[in-house]
Amino acid sequence: MIHETLKADILIIGMGAAGQLAALYAHDENPDLNILIVTKALKGKGGCSRMVQGGFNVVLNEADSHEKHLMDTLKGGQYINDQDLARTLVEQATPTIKEMETRFGCFFDRNPDGTVHQKPFAGQSFDRTVHKGDLTGIEMISRMTEQIMKRKIQVLEECRAVDLLKDKSGQQVTGALILNMKQGKFIRAEASATLVATGGGPTQYRFHAPGPEKSVDGLGMLYRAGTLMRDMEMIQFHPTGLIIDGSVVAGSLLEEGLRGSGAYLYNGNGERYMKNYAPDVAERATRDVVSRSSYLEMMAGRHCEEGGVRIDAAHLGAEFVLKNFPGMCSRCAQFGYDLARGPVPVSPSAHFVMGGARINRDCETSLDRLFVAGEDGGGVHGGNRLGGNGICESSVYGRQAGKALARFMADNGTAPPETDPEMVGELMAKYLAPFGRNGKEELFVLRDELKECNWNNVGVVRNAKDMATAVEEINAIREEAKTLKISGTRAYNMPWNIYIDFLNMLDVSDMVVVSAMARKESRAAHYRSDFPEQDDDKGLFNSFLTRSADGKPSLITEPVDFMYKSLRECQIHKK
Amino acid sequence: MESTKGNTRKIDVFRYDPTQGGDGHFDHFDLYIDDETNTTILDVLIRLQKEQDSTLSFRYACRVNMCGSCGMVINGREGLACKTNVSDFPAKQGITIRPLNHFPVVKDLVVDMGPFFKHYEECLPFFEPRKIMDEPAIIRPDSKERIAIGLATECIACGCCVSSCTMANYHENYAGPAPLNRAFTLLMDSRDALYEERMDKVLQSCYNCRTEFNCTEVCPKDISCTRAIKYIQRLAIKEPFKSVAKPKPAQDVESSPEPEPIIMNTAPGTSPVIQTPAMDVKHDTSRCRHESTPAIPVEAIEANNTSRRSFLAGLTMGIGAVSVLTVGGVLAASFVGPAMQKKPPLWVPAGSIEKFPVGQVSTVNLRYTENVGIYKQELVKPVLVWRPPNQNKIIVYNSTCTHLGCTVHWDVNQNLFLCACHGGAFALDGSVMAGPPPRPLDHMEFKVDSGNLLIAMV
Ligand SMILES: Cc1cc2nc3c(=O)[nH]c(=O)nc-3n(C[C@H](O)[C@H](O)[C@H](O)COP(=O)(O)OP(=O)(O)OC[C@H]3O[C@@H](n4cnc5c(N)ncnc54)[C@H](O)[C@@H]3O)c2cc1C
Ligand code: SF4
Ligand code: FES
Repeated sequence: MIHETLKADILIIGMGAAGQLAALYAHDENPDLNILIVTKALKGKGGCSRMVQGGFNVVLNEADSHEKHLMDTLKGGQYINDQDLARTLVEQATPTIKEMETRFGCFFDRNPDGTVHQKPFAGQSFDRTVHKGDLTGIEMISRMTEQIMKRKIQVLEECRAVDLLKDKSGQQVTGALILNMKQGKFIRAEASATLVATGGGPTQYRFHAPGPEKSVDGLGMLYRAGTLMRDMEMIQFHPTGLIIDGSVVAGSLLEEGLRGSGAYLYNGNGERYMKNYAPDVAERATRDVVSRSSYLEMMAGRHCEEGGVRIDAAHLGAEFVLKNFPGMCSRCAQFGYDLARGPVPVSPSAHFVMGGARINRDCETSLDRLFVAGEDGGGVHGGNRLGGNGICESSVYGRQAGKALARFMADNGTAPPETDPEMVGELMAKYLAPFGRNGKEELFVLRDELKECNWNNVGVVRNAKDMATAVEEINAIREEAKTLKISGTRAYNMPWNIYIDFLNMLDVSDMVVVSAMARKESRAAHYRSDFPEQDDDKGLFNSFLTRSADGKPSLITEPVDFMYKSLRECQIHKK
Repeated sequence: MESTKGNTRKIDVFRYDPTQGGDGHFDHFDLYIDDETNTTILDVLIRLQKEQDSTLSFRYACRVNMCGSCGMVINGREGLACKTNVSDFPAKQGITIRPLNHFPVVKDLVVDMGPFFKHYEECLPFFEPRKIMDEPAIIRPDSKERIAIGLATECIACGCCVSSCTMANYHENYAGPAPLNRAFTLLMDSRDALYEERMDKVLQSCYNCRTEFNCTEVCPKDISCTRAIKYIQRLAIKEPFKSVAKPKPAQDVESSPEPEPIIMNTAPGTSPVIQTPAMDVKHDTSRCRHESTPAIPVEAIEANNTSRRSFLAGLTMGIGAVSVLTVGGVLAASFVGPAMQKKPPLWVPAGSIEKFPVGQVSTVNLRYTENVGIYKQELVKPVLVWRPPNQNKIIVYNSTCTHLGCTVHWDVNQNLFLCACHGGAFALDGSVMAGPPPRPLDHMEFKVDSGNLLIAMV
């Protein structure tokens, strides 16, 4: 099959906050750089950055400090963060958010005196979340997309990367194989440096917060390319995903600010169960604690009629709720729930991947010419991400990556080596295979099986037996996937794309279950009913994983490096 | 809203297969739906694809009204598939789903949003700081500029408004509602430096608006582009000359406590009509949003709890006056004229004349930089150069289709210039052979200088 070839200095995969800021900062460092962005959705429309509701954690107030933000982040992550990444996060967040306003034209909500407003979020020692109403991402991504237009940076829309390309040695990344989804044609995109910023997005679970467009593509690609990955057992479940039976809306979020402002959670018996699990802070406990508590209530049969628990903000006053959470109110109203005046059924919902490629503060990875930023990177959040630190991460590290990419091009921006001549053909054959097959059209069934398997066995609560079942099931699903057939033409073929999504989900499911089995304790987002305690003697490690020759993950662990803050300091920090 | 449990709906979906071409057709499906209040049109499409026809194509990403990918025409009205519930339609009613109007169809319900973003970009939708500041500007939330801008910055670029707009269909250069709305929010933003350049780009377009309020009616984010458009006109009319002399700080735009009347000369000899600009904001009591909408300029409208119906009734009464406003608008544009001077043509080199073989049509992408005040815009414009055989002659065609402004390309096999958007076709002499274009392709001025072809950009 013939394919088109494109060459650029910098190839950016993904157009969320990380991808966009990387492009903007690289361009502004050197406007002559030829930057190519490819994105799975339309310009600026894909990804989770756009879906950010609550806001962005950043130190702007003199009474607050980077020190405090760092300690909150390490405490939230239950000490296994990469401390250098966490420190860069909090320190660079301040200039990053300011530049979003002063250079790129975002306008965040203000205090009555005209200064930037900051609101409370769970797990934080200071009210430091900058926001625009309760739909912050739209403002950020719309404004940044316009800045990309202004700079005439080339964007290929509805063009998804399917795999990274490498040279014969396997150590240098030379670009990526792209599928133009509209036309159903492949593009070989080659660049001196490649940035993966597809934003994780754990949609391989029954309930998930990210849009279904996302499918852990970046993580799958990075893993298949042999990049060193870390902490893949750490998947965050947001406690308040809407339950709308049978609708794709299921799993979409009611934002954290609701709990932050004092909303209550009730189980099916009408009890405020969070008081039993976290007596001091109750509903304001961090996401991992609240999600786990809700899940345990549901498993114990104390669920509400719709199958989950209920969030209730009515006691805050309808006026307050309507004023502060208009987006959430209208989301509920669409399905007949009145958030301002009554309870709404919710369930934990897979939200965020804390793990990802091992990177340093310049977003470099274990492979040459390969950079990773945003949710696809790992280490910043440790075992659990604080609400408001996610968009902060993708913005800060997008900016870091942009600057690092420009520096890389200035220092050693030579053309990439030749791509392994076999690679493009082999990959195209792999992805086109289901068209020729005389197989089954059971893609949707298999994908849903995988989601159920992950939800039940490698989800909010895990144990050795369930995970062993998961390994078997995932393997069986993978075998069956080899018989799948796709019909129709290639142009805008949605099932074909869902098939490619599904292959990524399978690879990431492998990584998660293998890492989760290796952590024989409970920590942050990873909870094991067979090892319910956090073990600060044996558990202070990070898991690192690559794909071995047989296609299975191979894992090693390394002790956490407490380079700035000691374990003791982390343990005694109280938010 | 009607809550219906267990119902079989008749659903007709537009189908178009790019490999087959043609005009497309509707496919009929019957779908049993358990709970229609919990089922969006997006759910319906996903189920049809899963259960009945896997080749059905549509576009979505976020599924929660945030990305603007799923705009389509549902029972004749534009809306987001993920924001429209089946129960919004009476239980016995069928559901017909087709792609947005005025956009080329890629496949089935998927359209090419290229024309939308082209217009959007032309309105200079991007912030340009007036000066680089270290700290975010101190701007009070109750400042006039912020009250005027309100939530108008929350546009998700879904294209529904453009699809609903009849004028977007008639005027190829009409920027359309959403781009003008974005321009409005920046014109009002005291931090931005491109007031004049942007005004220069968009004002003319504003006068294409016939104040039909279709865009306002359909916007899923409750934005009123009509209001934005009228606002821009008012900004320009209030201070026509001043805007050239110095950048206009947004704060004092509305210093008068009462709405400024716009004085319009309808026609020579008639007495001026005084009309308060029709500002509108959509209210929908079924959503809880309205209580928090600070977007409403005080003078703008009725009490906050007006229902949409009575609001629209009020509008109908005003229609006579509104059409006068449009005529006045055109005149007002010429009144503002001096501020918007025509620029002399820019001669852009297209390369040596040798490059264009006789007897062939060649396409060249002209790259040039346009100075828009302090801002430089880099543009690429494809032009079509035709050298008829046996004649010492060159014809340069503007590649912009005379229908709606898509780019036409030369098709060697058919010997025609074709426009992919709506099937317009032009012969070698530029005349219309097929499709909706109202007139032949436009010629472009050129000259040959020392063997090089130079083309005039105006
Ligand atoms: C509903 C929701 C609400 C959230 N709210 C908050 C919040 O309030 N505060 C906070 O801090 N964090 C929040 N988060 C988390 C935050 O959104 C993410 O951490 C962050 O946006 C990730 O940014 P990113 O740039 O890494 O990826 P994304 O923004 O997800 O962007 C990924 C991009 O990659 C593209 N892409 C995907 N796959 C491919 C492919 N194969 N090829 C090419 N392109 C591809 C996508 O189209 C998209 O453009 C929220 C997340 C969700 C889902
Ligand atoms: S103004 Fe409204 S209808 Fe128009 S593109 Fe924006 S969100 Fe869509
Ligand atoms: S899918 Fe994003 S707005 Fe409908």
